[in-house]
Amino acid sequence: MKPNFRWGYALFVLLMLAVLGFIAVGILSLFVGVDVESLGGNVALVPIEGIISGTDDSGFFETMTNSLDTVELIEKADKNPGIKAIILEINSPGGSAVASEEIANAVRKTNKTTVAWVREIGTSGAYWVASSADYVVANRVSVTGSIGVIGSYLEFPGLLERYNVTYQRLVSGKYKDLGSPYREMTQEEREIFQRALDGIRDYFAGEVAKNRNLNKKDMDKVANGLFYLGAEAKELGLVDELGGKDEAVRYIEKREGIKAEIVEYKKEKTLLDVLSDVMGRQSFFVGKGIGSSLFDRKAASSIGITA
Amino acid sequence: MPRLNLPKEKTFTGPALIWKRIAAFFIDMIIVNLVVLFPFRALFRNTIPKDYSFSEAYRLLGSSANFTGYISSISLVMSILIILYFYLMERKMSQTIGKMLMKIHVVSDNNEAKAWQLLARNLVFLPVFPFVLLWAVDPLFMFFTKTNQRLTEILGKTRVVEIYTLQ
Repeated sequence: MKPNFRWGYALFVLLMLAVLGFIAVGILSLFVGVDVESLGGNVALVPIEGIISGTDDSGFFETMTNSLDTVELIEKADKNPGIKAIILEINSPGGSAVASEEIANAVRKTNKTTVAWVREIGTSGAYWVASSADYVVANRVSVTGSIGVIGSYLEFPGLLERYNVTYQRLVSGKYKDLGSPYREMTQEEREIFQRALDGIRDYFAGEVAKNRNLNKKDMDKVANGLFYLGAEAKELGLVDELGGKDEAVRYIEKREGIKAEIVEYKKEKTLLDVLSDVMGRQSFFVGKGIGSSLFDRKAASSIGITA
Repeated sequence: MPRLNLPKEKTFTGPALIWKRIAAFFIDMIIVNLVVLFPFRALFRNTIPKDYSFSEAYRLLGSSANFTGYISSISLVMSILIILYFYLMERKMSQTIGKMLMKIHVVSDNNEAKAWQLLARNLVFLPVFPFVLLWAVDPLFMFFTKTNQRLTEILGKTRVVEIYTLQ
């Protein structure tokens, strides 16, 4: 074999394998998500955006925070020896009371310094999460507070009546269709609901008071569902400092004595996740369509309680 | 010009010297690392922080099944590319670049090396159990066999040889 050919062939093999390598890396990046634990930096930035929910209901263009994912990210940051502090970047109007508490508990449990950085909005359940951090930073005009619980819903028996549609109440158990939008709520039912909402609100306010070291009197003053701008919230003791990311970082650097290197802890969806999500949703709706044509099911309850 | 009728050099083929084999291997690994595995650097850079000590990186690797799976997938693809390099070079030319520079080459105990023989001698690169056991055992055989063969070479019935000239 001529020497020229041999070197030419060697070059060809190397180039071909290099191209294959690039393709393989591309495919790996698409299908395998980079685990956040693997990222460098010493300050984890965990975003809490959109409605806080206990399930992943976000679509392609809407942002939601799934409490399970967020708790996992916080726990990973906590376990990572390289991470010295966690910043919660909050831009959320709140959401499910349970999901909010799950995140708040995870934040409280960490051994790292935690700072909540409230951006545009950090109200209700999102404020619950913020209050569980060691330090809360908000912009002067950030919307925060709104400590309260809402369970309102639409009731349309009048509309049904107008179209001569009747709700056949078939229940075993007096309160089984409590909160059905197809009939009017009785006074007793209203009281049951109100009691539940008050209970959640008291718990929510109690948790925030505990997190922020506020006494009951002060807490009752602010836990009325009203929102506050950042400057007001600072006066009321709901926020520690007015500012943004720089202030949050400065606090961490001073407390930990480090030069902060921020790394975003975010659950990235891989191509496979997105595809299976789409397929799953399509299958769900197809199934739902077939199901509803077979059984004309009525919604038993449509109430969702959000904080 | 009349050609001189000089006596031909007497040569014979024998097992390649171990140092030449080791040198050829290092040359190949440097080339493969620089050219073929180059794109994987970015993946690893995003995977293990550069300021991590070995123990921190080790702890990180064991911290989650997801993370370990990710590293395993990358390693597997990388090893396949390395095996392909050795296979394609040895199949066509009986030599890799390192072997070309060291003037040694691969021969089969049969006439011509078959695909399975060439693949067998490179199984050592697979980062999968039980092949990982070969990492230590395989090269050790080279020091204890007369023909300087690795274990996978014995199994694949191949040898690495060089041409010696008699003075």
